[in-house]
Amino acid sequence: MPSSNPLPPKENSLFKRILRCYEHKQYKNGLKFAKQILSNPKYAEHGETLAMKGLTLNCLGRKEEAYEYVRRGLRNDLKSHVCWHVYGLLQRSDKKYDEAIKCYRNALKWEKDNIQILRDLSLLQVQMRDLEGYRDTRYHLFMLRPTQRVSWIGFAMAYHLLEDYETALNILETFRKTQVPSSGYDFEHSEFLLYQNMVIRESGAFEDALKHLQTNKDQIYDKVTSQETFGCLYLKLGMYEDAKNEFNKLLERNPENIDYYYKLHDAENLRTDQEKYEMICKYRTKFPRALMPRRMILNYVSGELFRSEIDDYMRRGFHKGIPPLFVDLKSLYKDKEKVKIIEDLLQSYLVALKTTGCFSLNRYIIIVLIFEIIFLAKEEKQPASAILWVYYYMAQHYDFLKNTPKALEFIDTAINHTPTLIELFIIKGQIYKHAGDVIEAYKWIDEAQALDTADRYINYKCAKYMLRANLLKEAEEICSKFTREGVSAMENLNEMQCIWFQTECALAYQRLEKWGEALKKCHEIDRHFSEIIEDQFDFHTYCMRKMTLRSYVGLLRLEDVLRSHPFYFRAAQCAIQVYLRLYDRPLSDIDTQQQLNTANMARICKKKKESKNDRVRLPDICTKSRYYCCYLDEDSFSRWSRCTRRPDLWCIALFACN
Amino acid sequence: MNIRCARPNDLMNMQHCNLLCLPENYQMKYYFYHGLSWPQLSYVAEDDKGRIVGYVLAKMEEDSEDNPHGHITSLAVKRSYRRLGLAQKLMEQAARAMVECFQAKYVSLHVRKSNRAALNLYMNTLHFTISEIEPKYYADGEDAYAMRRELKSFEESKSDNNSVTATENNGITTASAVNVNTNAFLSN
Ligand SMILES: CC(C)(COP(=O)(O)OP(=O)(O)OC[C@H]1O[C@@H](n2cnc3c(N)ncnc32)[C@H](O)[C@@H]1OP(=O)(O)O)[C@@H](O)C(=O)NCCC(=O)NCCS
Repeated sequence: MPSSNPLPPKENSLFKRILRCYEHKQYKNGLKFAKQILSNPKYAEHGETLAMKGLTLNCLGRKEEAYEYVRRGLRNDLKSHVCWHVYGLLQRSDKKYDEAIKCYRNALKWEKDNIQILRDLSLLQVQMRDLEGYRDTRYHLFMLRPTQRVSWIGFAMAYHLLEDYETALNILETFRKTQVPSSGYDFEHSEFLLYQNMVIRESGAFEDALKHLQTNKDQIYDKVTSQETFGCLYLKLGMYEDAKNEFNKLLERNPENIDYYYKLHDAENLRTDQEKYEMICKYRTKFPRALMPRRMILNYVSGELFRSEIDDYMRRGFHKGIPPLFVDLKSLYKDKEKVKIIEDLLQSYLVALKTTGCFSLNRYIIIVLIFEIIFLAKEEKQPASAILWVYYYMAQHYDFLKNTPKALEFIDTAINHTPTLIELFIIKGQIYKHAGDVIEAYKWIDEAQALDTADRYINYKCAKYMLRANLLKEAEEICSKFTREGVSAMENLNEMQCIWFQTECALAYQRLEKWGEALKKCHEIDRHFSEIIEDQFDFHTYCMRKMTLRSYVGLLRLEDVLRSHPFYFRAAQCAIQVYLRLYDRPLSDIDTQQQLNTANMARICKKKKESKNDRVRLPDICTKSRYYCCYLDEDSFSRWSRCTRRPDLWCIALFACN
Repeated sequence: MNIRCARPNDLMNMQHCNLLCLPENYQMKYYFYHGLSWPQLSYVAEDDKGRIVGYVLAKMEEDSEDNPHGHITSLAVKRSYRRLGLAQKLMEQAARAMVECFQAKYVSLHVRKSNRAALNLYMNTLHFTISEIEPKYYADGEDAYAMRRELKSFEESKSDNNSVTATENNGITTASAVNVNTNAFLSN
């Protein structure tokens, strides 16, 4: 569609160069060419040139001028699809997606088959989850470009997202038939087939899915997904022998996957713990190096059998010196009987190690059964470190059982034994933390941190404990050892979306009643979530081309519920509490005054700024806490009211929400 | 600990684990880029509550089409879960997937010269070799070893029904590609 004000050839070629400069990010040059056109009085008000000048200025960060030029351009040429498209792009760059969609629609009024505008529109529609609009646009694109692969994929994807499986599958299958089967390696086709299979399964047609997979399996390179899918389909269709076969193959590849064992339970229709125990035992023998079957066994046994199994398990751990032994076994502590057995064994190890250096007092107690002949074997002496690991374990054991004095006793014994083992200091800090002494807790972690300054994990622990003790400055300083030089740690951690740190800061500020600072941190976290939602944008095109469609759908589904992530919940909860606190008891000028008086002179200026932040007005509070509330579902609310033990707050929050 | 292939909803938790364990951090988008380009290559280790305790974030280097190879972008295990063999197992799964799904010939990575634990793991357990030293590779000025491991052993062990004939792959190729917004908005 020609512009209402077409340029003569010379200017027109200049205009084309502006476009090219824009595409190649040569914005300065683009402006030069625009100037050449606009300096000719005849074309000083040329709409499309003005619009392009605006768009280019936008890329140079001159936003205000950008809007001015683009709007002026549009006013001068309301029938130009270029001007509307440019206006849409400008709004899009400002994340005003609804506005951008309107602009694209206007552009399409003047140029209804413009592929680029249709594509841009479709991206915004899927980003905004206007799935019906998306479907219509993808249909339009498909009709215009039926030979392109992405046309088919996008068309089918739209129906899939709308859960119209029949149409989606029709399109996918028709497309597949047009594909000449390549003889060699073709990853994209492999991904395509797996996507097609996913849609078939989601439609509920498991038999079709199985047939599809069987027919195409040689062209699928992702063996893990292919076998997992086979296995699950066999299970669904009651073909248990085949299912067993698949999951056994998968276990050969990865014997640490707990799901494969569960699926085998299902395939063998195992109900009782005894049956499961027997099955897992076979895998323990089959995969002697795997940890999973060994560990799983402990879940299925009890009483004396548990005693002998856990005895063996813990001896190995203490012998080799596996620090994570306790975290590994922790989930068994749900069962009181098991805890008792573990404790008995630990005590017996201690006594024995002290007297004989072995795990048993009677060193000839080990009986080995081979071909039903009984041997008496002499237990080997344990390395000197074994007893240390027992102390270390016992400290965690008693800590878990909330027996702080005993826990401390064991950790101190361990530290006396080996004063250089950092893990011990970490546990000592943890014991104090669990006992509620945040100051003593951070001191011990700080000690540990000083012994291994190269490990970021311990640095993180230290910072976290400091924040629990409300030591914000100290925590930032510790963190700065691992952040980029030249920028403040706070800034760098924000840039890296370090949510745990910001949440802990917010909570510390909340405890210190620095409401403004607390809210600031909450908002930073909220912004990360907006950013992560924004991140989808480029993948709408990217994944269609890469054919990684299953993961793409996974991404869309993740983004749909992104703010239900526990990280978000914690931050939102803090923000709502602060807002409600400000609603309950608005900060009076006296409060502010007092804050000012207690602060020393040097900090007054900063404080003033803070208190300004603090003075949030009432209607503001309602809208702002409503903002956070609306992301929390009822479940989260009840969880929250339980943990705050303030049902009154909860009611206000709900009120604010409605 | 359960070891499985990473899914899109693991990526945020992997980022979290990375922030706890390593100074080299990335924004979420970079995790998305990995998970959406090579969904088969990244693995996680999780505890019985489903919390991520270790991960490997891996990709293919697509600059050399005739010699495809994988690259380990990041590997870490939370301190309280170390020495269980998790890192080793995560790496083995990723390596096998690189061969099966992308016909990788070798896998490469960078490691700090001073990282004794990781060097031990790579050299002694996983049989990587040092291919070169990259001076001042890290932001704080530390040198890196560039390391590699040939993946032939995986090729032999893998099931034989796929003939190994490489064809070129014409997707988007670089990390930055994802960051580039579609500029070509006027198709004439
Ligand atoms: C490096 C790291 C990933 C290892 O994780 P892990 O799960 O503990 O490693 P594994 O248990 O699989 O170790 C396998 C083998 O590697 C070697 N190894 C691992 N940690 C070691 C250490 N601290 N010292 C010496 N050797 C070590 C051992 O040979 C070990 O076998 P063994 O336990 O039978 O002796 C972990 O220490 C870590 O996350 N560190 C911080 C992050 C990091 O440095 N990542 C690597 C960046 S390139």
